[in-house]
Amino acid sequence: MVSLEVVLGVAAALFGIGLYGVLGQTNAIMVIMGVELMLGAAMLNVIGFLRYAWPDGSSGGFFVLVLMTLMAVEAAVGFALVISVFRHRRTAEVDDLTDLSG
Amino acid sequence: MSDLGTALAFYPLAALMLVTGLYVFITSSMARAGLLLLAALGVEGLIFLALASEFLGFLQLLMMSGEMVIMVFFMVMFMSDPGGLMGMDMTHEKRRSAGVAIALAAGLALVAVLTDWPARVAGDDAPDVRAIGFEVMGRSMVSFLFAAMTILFAMVGGVMLAKQGGRFGIAAPAGEERGEGD
Repeated sequence: MVSLEVVLGVAAALFGIGLYGVLGQTNAIMVIMGVELMLGAAMLNVIGFLRYAWPDGSSGGFFVLVLMTLMAVEAAVGFALVISVFRHRRTAEVDDLTDLSG
Repeated sequence: MSDLGTALAFYPLAALMLVTGLYVFITSSMARAGLLLLAALGVEGLIFLALASEFLGFLQLLMMSGEMVIMVFFMVMFMSDPGGLMGMDMTHEKRRSAGVAIALAAGLALVAVLTDWPARVAGDDAPDVRAIGFEVMGRSMVSFLFAAMTILFAMVGGVMLAKQGGRFGIAAPAGEERGEGD
């Protein structure tokens, strides 16, 4: 049967996959995709708590709405930054953006 | 949905979500990666449905389908090898990234298992649209308005960032300096 621990374990695995994408990919769009998966894992956590730890509460649903907003905002600003960088550098590879490295 | 029904829906969907999520970063075609991400987050919406969050599940399906299709366009525009036919590798530090990700996921899972969570009887119909509506229009209204303003600012800021020339107008051609009258 499904329990809170199982849902949290699946969310942890999804978070790890997203983190692998953020750390291991060189293209900025792929990094954004990794962040989307990590936020998806956070949403799954909230749904798990809502179902198994606090079934009669509605604040958790609101948190999921805020997280969905965050995903949309993160994608919009991320794409805008990628477009801006691409205009100046003609690349979206994060390895090429080393101006601030020591 | 009964406990057995929830389990029968949850486990295959969770496996499908993790596999499609992992293949996002394994496939060499960027168009496929975008569609796989859409599949992963769409399946997550189905998991929400299986866990009795119908409203949020359908909202997730709706939002992610729109967002990920837009993302596929961006990927095809910005990838040097969108079709994956040239065999380009767009990864770095693969082993260390995988090591860090696995260690963190295992740590989080360990915390989830070892923590003594409050034992509550699972509700069958938590939370419904009505409850979320009262929450949004009640004590969380200020937060919800803040989220709406955040979206508005992100839209305006995104357009300003992405437009030709950025915030400072169209740049002078290379080698030329602009005077005061420009």
